[in-house]
Amino acid sequence: MAISLEYVVKETSGNLWRNRLMSLAAVLTISVSLALAGASLLLKQGVSTATSQWKGGVQLLIFMQPTATNAQTSTVERQLKSLPEIKSYYYMDQAKSYQEFKQLMANSPDLLQSVTESQIPPSFRVVLKNPSAAPSVGSLFQQQAGVKDVNFNRGAINTMLHVTSIAQFVIVGLAAILLISASVLILNVIRVAIFSRRREVAVMKLVGATNWFIRVPFMLEGMVQGLVGSIVAAGAVVGIQALFQYVIQHFNVTILSNFLVSSHDVLMTELFVVAMGIIVGTAGSAFAVRRYLEV
Amino acid sequence: MIKVDRVYKRYKENQYALSDCSLEIDRGEFVFVVGASGSGKSTLLRLLLREERPDSGEVWVAGKELSAMPGWKVPFFRRNIGSIFQDFRLLPNKTVFDNVGFALEVIGKSKRHITTQVPQMLELVGLHDKQERFPDELSGGEQQRVAIARAFINKPLILLADEPTGNLDPENSWSVMGLLERINRTGTTVLMATHDVGIVDSMRRRVIELENGQIKRDQTRGVYGLGQTST
Repeated sequence: MAISLEYVVKETSGNLWRNRLMSLAAVLTISVSLALAGASLLLKQGVSTATSQWKGGVQLLIFMQPTATNAQTSTVERQLKSLPEIKSYYYMDQAKSYQEFKQLMANSPDLLQSVTESQIPPSFRVVLKNPSAAPSVGSLFQQQAGVKDVNFNRGAINTMLHVTSIAQFVIVGLAAILLISASVLILNVIRVAIFSRRREVAVMKLVGATNWFIRVPFMLEGMVQGLVGSIVAAGAVVGIQALFQYVIQHFNVTILSNFLVSSHDVLMTELFVVAMGIIVGTAGSAFAVRRYLEV
Repeated sequence: MIKVDRVYKRYKENQYALSDCSLEIDRGEFVFVVGASGSGKSTLLRLLLREERPDSGEVWVAGKELSAMPGWKVPFFRRNIGSIFQDFRLLPNKTVFDNVGFALEVIGKSKRHITTQVPQMLELVGLHDKQERFPDELSGGEQQRVAIARAFINKPLILLADEPTGNLDPENSWSVMGLLERINRTGTTVLMATHDVGIVDSMRRRVIELENGQIKRDQTRGVYGLGQTST
């Protein structure tokens, strides 16, 4: 059955206006919760880019000179194989390392342009049986021919990872709670709207309106609330990202620059935020209207 | 047009609103359903509108068996049935025109169709000069005539009226009855539940009397109470 667009638009806008205070409450709750959810997603992205070198429990990085010969590299490798303290290791050649570098420096195009693949040091990523052995094992390679640098600055990174994972957990949890409360609020807004119009709904059913005909304006109402709320949230996420970038650039906090996420990640997060808003709004209303439609 | 076959309906344990109720109404008939409050009149009408389902037995309306009808078909079924009530059931925030047009809007008719049909219908019920009024600016009789216009605008096969004159003074009651009679003459089957002795006695139509959920009497040209009025 055709539902005229004019009818739906008229009904929806009328409903929104009549319940504007409740609508505003729903919109605000959605935007706050989605902004938090989006920000926590970005933080998650940032942490995973910043710590990609240390993935898989890598505790020791041995950077080779970009100019190191094959012989020098294989000497290091042979030594790694023979040491009993070492659980596993893998080798990152220049091509792979350059890929990683590009990922890490996605937000510093100047730096990216000035560095070529041949300048990037290849490295061994080493996992130790006992992490506390990192300094002693590291020092073995420090003076080795062809080795540029040994990095076992694990303690600081460990703490950082720990703190950020807790922060992430808290933020995601908070965002989830807020999303649920936003859904409940939308549910309530729609329920109030339908309750105040139950006579109208009864008459509609009496003259033969289909359930979809009654439902669509309400669902659209929820969708508009979700959409507006999520757009506000998306704006807030962009704002947070911009502020972060500004702080890093302005105060030159290089340690944080590893946390910067690419604009692609930001865009995906925004899309997620908007999609969530629409889904929560629409599904919430569909659920709220359901019980009033039973014959 | 309407066939009720051995229908039982109860709301509470051991308390039947309708028990072993069977009746048949042909196309174009005008039938009064009488009986005391709680005799099952409203339940019968609710069954015919498929607002309720029988516990057992069959309800046939306009060629459809209602107890087996799936929920999604009900709206389409109801478009063949007009219904009016004691309390009019108009929408207070819509004008007379919009109230009547609502019945067309809801089933997806075009705006042009609405703007041509509604004034004709309001002309028929004598309210063409009150199109832009709101229900609370009208008398009870006028409101019921708006409700009749809304019920009849889809040219339904059947018109169900649940005590349509219950809130009206005699004069308005008669004007409503006049309209129902005209609607009946177009071939629409009219089933009216009522308490109004005067109307039933003077119209001399078929009368079905319910008592405790059972059909006590079914007379072709009946009166309200056969001398003894029911309690």
